[in-house]
Amino acid sequence: MYDAIVIGAGISGCSVARELSRYKLKSLVLEKGHDIAAGTTRGNSATVHAGYDPDPGTNKAIYNVRGSRMYEALCKELEVPYNRNGMVIFATNEEQMEECRRLKKTGDLNTVPTELCDRARLLEIEPDMGEGIIGGLWVPTSAMVCPYQLCFALSENAAMNGVEFRRSCKVTKIERGDDCWKVFAGGEVFETKYIFNCAGTHADIFNNMVSKDSFKIIPREGQHLVLDRELIKYVNTTLSQTPEKLPTGGHTKGMGLMPSVDGTVILGCNADDVEDKDFSDTTAEGIGKIVSYFEEKWKYLPISKYVPEFPRDKVITAYGGSRPHSDRDDFILGEPEDAKYFINLAGIESPGVTAAPAIAIDMVKILVEREGAEENPDYRPGRKIKKPFRDMTREEQLKAIEADPDYAKIVCRCETITEAEIRDAIRRPNGARSISGVKMRTRAGMGRCQGGFCSTRVLEILAEELGCGALEVRQSGNGSQVLLGRAAEGNL
Amino acid sequence: MKKELVIIGGGAAGLSAAIEARKKGVQDILILERSEELGGILRQCIHAGFGVHKYKTDLTGVEFAQRLRSEIKELGIEYLCGSFVIDMSAERLLTVVHPERGLFQIQAGAIILAMGCRERSRGALMIPGKRIAGVITAGTAQRYLNLKGYLPGKRIVILGSGDIGLIMARQFALEGAEVIRVVEIMPHSSGLARNISQCLEDFDIPLSFNSTVTDIQGRGRVESVTVSKVDESLKPILGTEEIIPCDTLLISAGLIPENELTKAAEIEMAGPGPRVNAELMTSAEGIFACGNVLHIHDLVDHVAAEGTYAGACAAKYLGYGDGAAEMPVFVSEPAYEPGKKAMICLGCPKGCRLVIDAEGNVSGNSCPKGEAFARQEAVSPMRMMSCLMRVAGQDRVFAVRTKSPIPKAMMHNCAEYIYAHPIAAERLPVHVGDVLIENILESGADIVAAQEVEL
Repeated sequence: MYDAIVIGAGISGCSVARELSRYKLKSLVLEKGHDIAAGTTRGNSATVHAGYDPDPGTNKAIYNVRGSRMYEALCKELEVPYNRNGMVIFATNEEQMEECRRLKKTGDLNTVPTELCDRARLLEIEPDMGEGIIGGLWVPTSAMVCPYQLCFALSENAAMNGVEFRRSCKVTKIERGDDCWKVFAGGEVFETKYIFNCAGTHADIFNNMVSKDSFKIIPREGQHLVLDRELIKYVNTTLSQTPEKLPTGGHTKGMGLMPSVDGTVILGCNADDVEDKDFSDTTAEGIGKIVSYFEEKWKYLPISKYVPEFPRDKVITAYGGSRPHSDRDDFILGEPEDAKYFINLAGIESPGVTAAPAIAIDMVKILVEREGAEENPDYRPGRKIKKPFRDMTREEQLKAIEADPDYAKIVCRCETITEAEIRDAIRRPNGARSISGVKMRTRAGMGRCQGGFCSTRVLEILAEELGCGALEVRQSGNGSQVLLGRAAEGNL
Repeated sequence: MKKELVIIGGGAAGLSAAIEARKKGVQDILILERSEELGGILRQCIHAGFGVHKYKTDLTGVEFAQRLRSEIKELGIEYLCGSFVIDMSAERLLTVVHPERGLFQIQAGAIILAMGCRERSRGALMIPGKRIAGVITAGTAQRYLNLKGYLPGKRIVILGSGDIGLIMARQFALEGAEVIRVVEIMPHSSGLARNISQCLEDFDIPLSFNSTVTDIQGRGRVESVTVSKVDESLKPILGTEEIIPCDTLLISAGLIPENELTKAAEIEMAGPGPRVNAELMTSAEGIFACGNVLHIHDLVDHVAAEGTYAGACAAKYLGYGDGAAEMPVFVSEPAYEPGKKAMICLGCPKGCRLVIDAEGNVSGNSCPKGEAFARQEAVSPMRMMSCLMRVAGQDRVFAVRTKSPIPKAMMHNCAEYIYAHPIAAERLPVHVGDVLIENILESGADIVAAQEVEL
């Protein structure tokens, strides 16, 4: 019997898993997707929000602010890139300045530092801001992270410290047994004292199986465009205009420009409610909204000084993801009154990436304090990871190649990813099992050619490392075979 | 290390440049090639249509590459496969990695950039829909097929009528796969007329103009795509959506010069390629550019001609040769026009471009042989055919071709015959031109190896 089962291996589930691994507990993470971070964590704005805008006193505000303050140390500990580049919310008219003042008040109540700026002050922060901007709000503690890289790191560290993970293992039923929960997943039944419900857009399904205190999770999709890394040199901060009101009530942070930690520039996103809980598509409508928004606003953004028109030819890809918006309009945390030992981390929409590490601490504390769990004396907070080849100094590159000639085999030329790094990504705890898994962990295939050159080689390396035939290698999950047969056999 | 001339990229442009530079007297040349063998993209082009200008004979890409490789070896030009340039400065200092040689630097007297191009991807085209397997660029599909021996799809829709997509349509058809349709957003094709004729019309593959893919459906792998008509501003027209079941969306929508090194060295750009002077020198002293890195060419023959010129210019810059090189002039092939067949005359090595209309009027010929050739083509078309052959009991494939043209109608049967008769491993090695099947299906043509195959 397990002490804890975590449903879902996104940023919430993996944060909980790592927190659990600090204690002498037998824990298991069940993930229905083909990989860690296969859902919401994969497709969002990659921003560590400062916490200037959630309504004061809400779970969103509390955990956003706490999470934001934890991030730098957490990323350092796990050796994940983190960049506190700050955010500029710019205004082009007095109405928008008024909104900035309102946000400043909210920020003050949430104890988040912000600064109202006139144009001159904004230009000190971001010198190439376009004409027509009269001022705005400067949020110095906003930062960028790669959420799935952090999620892989959390899962890896949790696995090193003893947590079990099962991927492609979908929970279909939860029953109350004698002094335990029975979790039906992947054709097996697992018994556990505690359940942590970190199922993202599916969290309502599990809550409503065990509790009468039901809620509904509405997938709210958001799409993003990614621009070529040659543009990032023209921009420092995350940029957005004052927030947009949604027709459904509430608001999002609006469209923004995010300089990613990987060196690309992210643009997005829209916010539209959808039916499909696994929606991660891009749509003509969604992409169209982003393109027309940025075509209109391009002149305000610093890049426009160097690239005057919205550069369609610098778009390298688009991605989508669904945020788990709850009908309670806040994070739903803790045990429902009628379901002891079942702990919700539900409705973790934006600023969920930021809040997740802080939420995990408090949710795991429920178990630890009630059960008096002992600390795990073997717990190690870091992981053994080598620097990406492209970030090494020449000296380090030389040494890396001497130790392992696979470092001299550049597989992905757009992102300069070596064969050594690809093999390592497959061999690590909770390692890559698909072309997409390699891509997310190493960035091979994520650059401007989008895998055109390297995917054939990545496929061969996967087949070698996994000990399977080329025909069995998958792009991502079930049914995503890349190759459909052997050539020149005339057997079609 | 110091080198007089370093050429980055061992494809048609780079090899041609190296050969010419050596002929002009440059001794200390090094070609840096990323993959395991010289030849570049030609290595995966098993189809014919190469060399009509340069070698005055119709070769497959693989054979064309083989000729260039032979010349490189005969001239004793040094090359390093498996090497990758991670940095280049405008002062011609290169940082290179190689599995055996590690990381090292080369100070070059002159550099010729010949890195070629990449394909426009789904992401760059912003094609919406599911992010699933089965969406692949034509060149990547060509690599899976011709270099690895695997079929990346069986029921295929092709987006874009670029040449690689057309070539792949024919090869997939010969493999027995179903090419359902080619969809082109423009009112005309970007492909060569002869490719439309010989790759689509020969195989009854429909081509829809003013159309594009507006959605991709499927779980795990492509199950269908939505094709919509577009208006004059290329925007999809609502209500024209058509769902086409398929397992693969092949993208052939243009090529982009690969200028990452160029940009990193802060060389001045003019659009997607570097700005060059009349002698192909970029804004950086002693750094030249040629082939698809400079601009996208229709024909490899043109790429080779430009490479040759760049080699001569670099040699001149280094103080060799008589400086008599001339910038090649490229004549475009006739555009595709429905109802008119376009072809390269194979009556003599001159390679005239012929067009014959529905009434049988021939144009473009410079002698009566051309007219005769075109009429024969109109009555009983003959085709050179190339396809893959397996090595029995092994995971290897290699390119074969007909030695002479066969009747168009026999292409499918000949391909099937070849697939049913893999070569016995005991017959290896084989060399380019070795007869593997005599008089296949009594067509009058032999099947010959189009590739060197080792034991």
